[in-house]
Amino acid sequence: MSEAVQSTPIPHHENTKLAMWIFIGGEVVFFTALIMTLVLTRRVNAGYEAEFRSHLSIPIIAVNTFVLVTSSYFVVRALEAIRQGNARAMQWNLAAVLALGWLFLGGQAYEWTSLFREGVTYATTFGTPFFTVTGTHGLHVFVGTLWLLYVLIGHRRIPFTKENHLGIENFGLYWHFVDIVWIVLFTLIYLI
Amino acid sequence: MQQETHRRPNYFLVFGILAVFTLIETLVSYVQTAAIKLPVLIVLALVKAVLVLLYFMHLRSDSRVFSYLFVAGCVLAVPLILVITVVMPLVLPHLGGS
Repeated sequence: MSEAVQSTPIPHHENTKLAMWIFIGGEVVFFTALIMTLVLTRRVNAGYEAEFRSHLSIPIIAVNTFVLVTSSYFVVRALEAIRQGNARAMQWNLAAVLALGWLFLGGQAYEWTSLFREGVTYATTFGTPFFTVTGTHGLHVFVGTLWLLYVLIGHRRIPFTKENHLGIENFGLYWHFVDIVWIVLFTLIYLI
Repeated sequence: MQQETHRRPNYFLVFGILAVFTLIETLVSYVQTAAIKLPVLIVLALVKAVLVLLYFMHLRSDSRVFSYLFVAGCVLAVPLILVITVVMPLVLPHLGGS
């Protein structure tokens, strides 16, 4: 897993990647604010927390977490494929990412439906921050799948190549960040 | 002059660690002792996040500027965390909260 660290200036052609990292830095602050609302709710309503947590299904969400982590793996596989000039392998790996992204959203929809059936709605004490935080994350996954569709369709018009694949790299940065957010949410909301 | 270094990380190994850690986290969540559960879960989540950042997002090999931008976001988030975890619980009772 070793790679030499390079501390070189950012090449001009990587300006969009720089923009992507600035965006991700902003997203860190945005998601921290959201997550903190949940932390505060837990702190001031400790008495209701156990009741809320009894509605959460850890095994289902653990599987969903595995699905998202797996999708991240397929993103790096796609990037490696195009770096080696294998556009077909890139497409198949990205198709797997798309399928896994939708599977994750399906899992979240199933969880939400189960919670609604059990009376946990947006209007409840923990429902408000829970649905806001997980919903915002889910929206990011959904936007990611739309972006991926755009990437795949765009590839048919102007194909990505061994030399020109920054579009895949930028999408990957976004997708991996969304994965990191879920790693944090999974621990904070469901496990602790 | 920029020198490209593309020694490919073992992505499957990273993925394997992430998957195994997810399984361990899930099992640990059923442990009732908070003294064990809390630090283990926090460390596992942090290690997972760092692995994704370093290897999947290539911060280990990319320009340091990208790392600084991510760290800047984290630093800006610290006051938010302090306000919510330290200041708000002190202020809320005086505002009529529980």
